[in-house]
Amino acid sequence: MKRIETEILVIGGGATGTGIAWDAALRGFRVLLVEKRDLTHGTTGRYHGLLHSGGRYVVKDPHSAAECIAENRILRKTHMHCIEDTGGFFVVTPEDDNEYPDQFYAACARLEIPCEEISVAAALKREPLMNPEARRVFVVPDGAADSFQATHSTAQAARQAGAQILNYHEVVQLLVEGGEGDRRVVGARVRDVARGEDVEIRARMTINAAGAWSGVVAKTAGVRVDVIPGKGTMLAVNHRIINTVLNRCKMPDDGDIIVPIHTVSVLGTTDERVEDPEHLTIEPWEVELLLREGEKLIPGVSRTRFVRAWAGVRPLYQEHYNGASRDATRDLTLLDHKTRDGVAGFLTILGGKWTTFRLMAQVTMDKACEYLGTCKSCVTAQTVVPGVEQGHYWLGHRLREVEEHHLQSELVCECELVTRAMLENAARNNPTLTLDDLRRDVRLGMGPCQGGFCTYRAAGILHQVKSQNEKGKSEEPARWEVAYMQSPAHNQRSAISDQPSAVGGQPSAVSGQQSQFANPNLLLRDFLQERWKGLLPILWGRQLKQERLDELIYLALMNADHLPDENATSPMSEFYARIAFSGQLSANSDQHSAFSEEPISRER
Amino acid sequence: MLDLIVIGAGLTGLIAAHTAARAGKQVKIVTKGLGATHWHAGSIDVLGYYPNSATPVQRPLETVRDLTRARPQHPYAILDGTLSDALKNFVALAQELGLPYAGAANDGDNLWLPSPVGAARPTFLAPRAQLAGDLRRPEPMLIVGLRGMRDFYPELIAENLNKQGHRARAAFLPLDLITERHDSNTVHLASALDDPARRMKLAAELKKIFQPGERIGLPAILGLDAHAVALDDLQAQVGAPIFEIPTLPPSVPGVRLTNALRHRLRQLGVRVEINADVIGFHAEKDRVLWIESDASGRPLKHRAEKFLLATGGILGGGINSDHTGKVWEVVFNLPLTTPHDRGEWFRARFFDPAGHPIFRAGVPVNREFQPVDANGGRVYENIWAAGNILAHTDPILERSLEGIAIATGMATARSACNLKP
Repeated sequence: MKRIETEILVIGGGATGTGIAWDAALRGFRVLLVEKRDLTHGTTGRYHGLLHSGGRYVVKDPHSAAECIAENRILRKTHMHCIEDTGGFFVVTPEDDNEYPDQFYAACARLEIPCEEISVAAALKREPLMNPEARRVFVVPDGAADSFQATHSTAQAARQAGAQILNYHEVVQLLVEGGEGDRRVVGARVRDVARGEDVEIRARMTINAAGAWSGVVAKTAGVRVDVIPGKGTMLAVNHRIINTVLNRCKMPDDGDIIVPIHTVSVLGTTDERVEDPEHLTIEPWEVELLLREGEKLIPGVSRTRFVRAWAGVRPLYQEHYNGASRDATRDLTLLDHKTRDGVAGFLTILGGKWTTFRLMAQVTMDKACEYLGTCKSCVTAQTVVPGVEQGHYWLGHRLREVEEHHLQSELVCECELVTRAMLENAARNNPTLTLDDLRRDVRLGMGPCQGGFCTYRAAGILHQVKSQNEKGKSEEPARWEVAYMQSPAHNQRSAISDQPSAVGGQPSAVSGQQSQFANPNLLLRDFLQERWKGLLPILWGRQLKQERLDELIYLALMNADHLPDENATSPMSEFYARIAFSGQLSANSDQHSAFSEEPISRER
Repeated sequence: MLDLIVIGAGLTGLIAAHTAARAGKQVKIVTKGLGATHWHAGSIDVLGYYPNSATPVQRPLETVRDLTRARPQHPYAILDGTLSDALKNFVALAQELGLPYAGAANDGDNLWLPSPVGAARPTFLAPRAQLAGDLRRPEPMLIVGLRGMRDFYPELIAENLNKQGHRARAAFLPLDLITERHDSNTVHLASALDDPARRMKLAAELKKIFQPGERIGLPAILGLDAHAVALDDLQAQVGAPIFEIPTLPPSVPGVRLTNALRHRLRQLGVRVEINADVIGFHAEKDRVLWIESDASGRPLKHRAEKFLLATGGILGGGINSDHTGKVWEVVFNLPLTTPHDRGEWFRARFFDPAGHPIFRAGVPVNREFQPVDANGGRVYENIWAAGNILAHTDPILERSLEGIAIATGMATARSACNLKP
């Protein structure tokens, strides 16, 4: 078995884990991060994209709100290019309590969250689709954050500072040494999922940042951590119906925010305590609730076109808590297992929000430093990650580059303006097992056609990349910066450059000769199924028509349901096939479909 | 007064209008868009897969007979044996239009044509330009792509063909042989190859890379208006059989078919009013007097003796739905056959061999293709329905889309206009 020695082992490649790797590397530690799937595959990649001003928690959870506004100010500098400066409204609708707004305003003042009341007319001028019956509107410095890009940029910063990041490496077992009263975690045995090999990692300190999966990880060391997994369901409208974050001005509840992020607007969220963080079921009532509540902020929103539904699971934590996940604290919690459980060398970080990921990393590393006997201070608040020179993200950035550089014919995904060079570079330089990994890198397949056109093109392009590698006429590794992976112009330049690879380039599984996952038929089938999974809860109207076109393409035109290698599977195939919509789906059956084919009568 | 208004300009609507106009009837087409012909392969699928079977159909006309016995409500069953004649009529029509179609060498067999991902696609009739791709033929294939063209991947096609036992290799030519445009799609490329000078350049390059005995597969871009000349010209210059492989939409073979049919309709004096979304109608008792379209921002009434609904299903826009699970026919609000509950619309796997129940939603009709209600009674005396909007089939899953379109388009036009077969 392969063995790796390091000082700090971080488990979990979400915002928090990569933040810890970054913080630790900047403090001069040797650090290794393992993630069982792709970076951000868990909760980080499944959130609505709200950069909190703190306004949402200002009355209910002021401590959390204070952390949010402080981190909001920091992240706008350290991760500027991952944030769109949308600003946010807190809207008092006719449904809402009359006293809450004054409490809200006073609490914002107490915590120094900038908050200004504007007239409803002024708010409507900025957001014409907002409910015109709104009674009051407050403006706060909310924003929209790209959690994929932010995590990649943080990871890149960590790598540049010496950290090593291994995705598709799943913890099998924490390594525990010592007897009763003197137990100590000394690392972990992890499985390299792509190669099916185990690796032993020895570390002086092991940090569990596995989020909702933390309990599973801790259990392998005999430590009990009861995460409160709070599932949140979200729906994406196919375009930007708003350009400002809209919040209801009331105690936080289900379905009371709409976030404009990239090309879509996200309605969120529900909050349901669930058992299994892995396979989340989206219930029909959740979809109906989000549509109904969304109507109160934007009348007519339930009749717009939705492209996607998904659920993420909040890793909430409160010792000895039995209540509803909606009411569990959003505070971060650091569990020191030496004092809590008598197991040294092991910390678990839980709770918090995406907005506070940097602070969570700082708190965790401060504690780790105590144990490791050094007192280097945290510098992440003053250090920018690669890519900030691009300035704040704005909606038109890709279109402007595509037009300025005449890249129209290079577009592989017209919905999200993904060029061939973006895709090739991401596949060559970022570990890639599935097209879904590339989706997280460059937004492949995230637009209205949900992979209808780009799935085929991406499978074809990756197949070309692979055959070039096999023929040994691979082009020189391109000069490629992870922080620029969403930039059409940068990728176009690097595609024709022969500069050596930038720091952090990793061999891609899909382009590697050994990878069984490079099968284009499997890539295609997996991604179509992955997209299907998130479409089911919202397929009606025009999106249903779109999906029928996708069927025409993949069944009638391609005959892709009768391709060779139909039994090939990837580590993700089973996950994609586990369906997440509990609408009593028609059972798989080789019999004639079970529903009634009797004509129904008309509604006149 | 017009004899017939056809609503919809997909293959069904064009064929229906042609059938009526050719018999001397006064016909007009009112349509929102151009139909699904621009999206598919330009070939005529009749039956590729029997419902719930993964084995492709060998002899579709024979298997259709089994299908009609097992499913008496299927559109093919309602046709009552006229499918075969309809297909013959189509072949004759296509010949007249200068866009000849043919089937497999062994009459009655399905063709096996390479799909753009290299699967073997069962289809019954194909344009002449696709025929040399039949995978029953023994000659090895050279699949030629254009470097930088985003809708065609020759290496992927060749690899999958080889995996299925068909000898194929891939090669690339530069895209700028054909166009210098930065934003070209397949229709632009096809149009560029109407130019003999560009074809000559392409032929010269093809000659350099092909080996004797090979047949050459190219993306379906070999000319648009001058397609027939372009194909002959290229084959003669290169000295090898050449075939087209259809691409992602827009489908050039589909555009050629639509253009040819519309050209003929113009000759027959049939107006095609595009961008005319039908938004209402007026009926007295059980007779529709007029339909109303929303054209150029003002409503317009269209009167006729009879109306033929060829708006397509969910794909064509003839059927719409909402989040409450309501499903409706958009022009006449006709009764539909659909799953009762939104929870029953889908199956868990995108590629489930049984298909998704919602895509079987459609208008139930009587033996004359007139829409009926839950009791089997005719809804309106002067309405007929044809094509993808018909109930009791999932034509994309069955690979029967064009067969149903052509045969029901002809049959309904005859039924509506009292024409003899």
